[in-house]
Amino acid sequence: MDVSQYLDVFIDETSEHIQSLSDNIMELEKEPENKDVVNEIFRAAHSLKGMAGTMGFKRMQHLTHDMEDVFSEVRNDNIKVNGNMIDLLFNCLDAIENYLENVKATSDEGTEENEALIKQLNAFLEGGDGSVDAESSDSEEAPAAEDKKEEASSGEESGEAEYLSMPVDDGIREKMKEAVESGQNLYGVTVHIDKECLLKAARAFLVFKAVEDFGEIIAYNPSSQDIEDENFEFTFSIIIAAETNDLDPVIKAIEAVSEIESTDSGKVTPEDYEEKKEEAEEKEPEQEASSAPATAAPAPSAAPAAKESPKAAPAAANNAAASKTNKPVATRTVRVDIEKLDSLMNQVSELIIAKNSLVSISATDQGVNNQSFHEQIEYLERITTGLHESVMKVRMVPIENTVNKFPRMIRDLSRKLGKPMELYMSGEDTELDRTVVDQIGDPLQHLLRNSADHGIESPEVRKERGKPEQGSIFLTAFQEGNNVIIQVRDDGNGIDIDKVKQKAVERGIVTPEEAENLSKKEIINFLFMPSFSMAKEITDISGRGVGLDVVKSNIEALGGDVEVKSEFGQGSTFTVRLPLTLAIIQALMVEVSDEKYAIALGSIQTIENVPVSEIKYVQAKEVIHLRGLVIPLIRLGQLLDCEEKDEEPDNLIVVIVKAGDNYAGIVVDNLIGQMEVVIKSLGKVLENNKFISGATILGDGEVALIIDVNAMF
Amino acid sequence: MSSYELSTTEEEKRQYIVVKIGSEQYGLDISNVDNIVRMQKITRVPKSPEHYRGVINLRGEVVPVMSIRRKMGLSDDVFTNASRIIILKLEAQGSVGIVVDEVKEVVSLGSDDIDRNVQNTNREDSNFINGIGKNGEELISLFDVDKIADEVEAA
Repeated sequence: MDVSQYLDVFIDETSEHIQSLSDNIMELEKEPENKDVVNEIFRAAHSLKGMAGTMGFKRMQHLTHDMEDVFSEVRNDNIKVNGNMIDLLFNCLDAIENYLENVKATSDEGTEENEALIKQLNAFLEGGDGSVDAESSDSEEAPAAEDKKEEASSGEESGEAEYLSMPVDDGIREKMKEAVESGQNLYGVTVHIDKECLLKAARAFLVFKAVEDFGEIIAYNPSSQDIEDENFEFTFSIIIAAETNDLDPVIKAIEAVSEIESTDSGKVTPEDYEEKKEEAEEKEPEQEASSAPATAAPAPSAAPAAKESPKAAPAAANNAAASKTNKPVATRTVRVDIEKLDSLMNQVSELIIAKNSLVSISATDQGVNNQSFHEQIEYLERITTGLHESVMKVRMVPIENTVNKFPRMIRDLSRKLGKPMELYMSGEDTELDRTVVDQIGDPLQHLLRNSADHGIESPEVRKERGKPEQGSIFLTAFQEGNNVIIQVRDDGNGIDIDKVKQKAVERGIVTPEEAENLSKKEIINFLFMPSFSMAKEITDISGRGVGLDVVKSNIEALGGDVEVKSEFGQGSTFTVRLPLTLAIIQALMVEVSDEKYAIALGSIQTIENVPVSEIKYVQAKEVIHLRGLVIPLIRLGQLLDCEEKDEEPDNLIVVIVKAGDNYAGIVVDNLIGQMEVVIKSLGKVLENNKFISGATILGDGEVALIIDVNAMF
Repeated sequence: MSSYELSTTEEEKRQYIVVKIGSEQYGLDISNVDNIVRMQKITRVPKSPEHYRGVINLRGEVVPVMSIRRKMGLSDDVFTNASRIIILKLEAQGSVGIVVDEVKEVVSLGSDDIDRNVQNTNREDSNFINGIGKNGEELISLFDVDKIADEVEAA
């Protein structure tokens, strides 16, 4: 079967399962006895295996299969969870992730076998199997045995009994169980359609129709949608839940449909899919329950786990595999709640209605002076605003997907650095535009590593300072106006201002005299300069000097900014501020020397009327004193080389803008009003402009430029 | 598009839009021309290279417009009723508009009609002129369209 069309789904779902595995293994480390967690892990590993199998990724399947075995033993209390095992499991996850990366890049899993990992897994199993033998419990061993057998036969493609190899997800399994509990029988049926058949979908439909007289179809393979679209070869499989004990009439009914070549059928149980799932090739399910527990135990696990760090090798091999690419499949998708789409659909239909009423009004005699015309315009406005919101919502995804890999990372770092620490996250459900979420991962990861490596002190130092031995790192996200704030805070060492100052002098960035006069903030800002690393020695965690400057430029590229607050000895807080949306903003239109400019409303604090007489001078620069703040004035006209005005008015219109903790007062000639503007690029040749972040098109077709407030400081 | 038109004219001929800038005639390969629009309000972009006049709204897209006169060191544009903005589609820079005094005609030039030997001319614009076309008695300087905007980034 050609499975390339499912690749996107596979990639999405695999990522999800890997994430859930990672989360749960973390959980398991904390509570090794928690059976719910073990079950959850088991399910995820199982689904992974199944999906890899369906897609024909044998190596990935093999690895996940062995992981699943380990979980299954843990579930049966045959193996105890310990630290080594957790480490090993994480290594396996990394390996699976490598496979996934390969799949993304080349549609193929690559050639890395990860034998070392598999051996280690089997070593665990071996230990576990000993206790199984002691209890001589056949039934418990059965799953493992079965799986081994499948593995042996996984190479061949069996044309028979495909209903046994259907992919079955948790939801369907639940349904199957419910059906069994309510006394119904489950039957698997594979239908082969005549190869000459022209209307496969129609035949399939007739089959479903026929079957539904007897019971309910609870699973389809391929999916019912694909069947409807004729996206299948000449066979499809279904699982039926029916009251009847006799399958024959059902089969007869199916075969009564014309152009059905043949059917395979049999009774199935939820367990069939629980333990063996899609790639089981055995013909009769009953058979294997009794088969071969003896062959099960220690067969493939002879060699002891010798290699401790198998990670470097797979990475290299994977790269090699990736270089002989067939085609990258990394399409960027957003999973959208159907409700969001429904509301979008509704608004579009309203839009059509509004258009139609406008058309009908224009046909009447009164034309545009009509009262109802204006009503319609207002209506239209409401719809477009609503549409905009809905579309933006569709693009919004929670940052969860990006941040939930961090606990694992901190855990690894904690072990590596020998410093106990814990990551506390909150606000993972904060939503951001998909493009922003995609790109915020690296900067955040960097900040967290920074905190873990430089921030948190060694346990001894912490003890001396009277802090709890375990360091804490906090990742907090929340929405504030039109921005999303993400904070990375630690209770560690904080930034040593004097050291930074010293370093800056050493590197010749400032003279010692200048350094004395710098504010704390200015000194901290040195950290964001290219190749300014504070680490005394280079570790593989941080300290290569490609650090905070990259973080800063990445975040600024997204239209955000980053700020640091730090108290030496008490910890640091990095605050990342990101715009909620990118394409459309609310803006204040202003006028300077007959030119129109837009200022993003999000950065505007207040608008003041300032008499010229109140302007003061600090270091020959104009400032105003406003409610306790000294705010530098920026003459927009001068800054942007507009034509000079003849005379200065008595009162200045000052737009007070804020970026981070900085304020500035922008002097403009006129205020036009608030507008929703669509941001457009200035075109490739002009887009590097320092003061202009983009352009927008006004109602009359004129182009207005958008001021980049961050460039004002 | 142009290849189609070539087949309808004589073999090996390319079509050029002939424009007037100052007293001279210039030719633009028609395959690079996306559109010709009337003069419209150009929004000045502060702090941009001097020979960019600003941006215009071309059917909802913002397109930079350059002054080829400023670029060539001629006197500044005087907008008249005949002034046009020629929108070029460039591979590297996307859409760029150039202001010309007048659009005259479209001519077909074969390689025999074009003198490529223009290297020794000591003119400011010689960097982006890649040939002189002869159309009857008239001489047409042919722009190397990709270099017009390219030059800008180096400058």
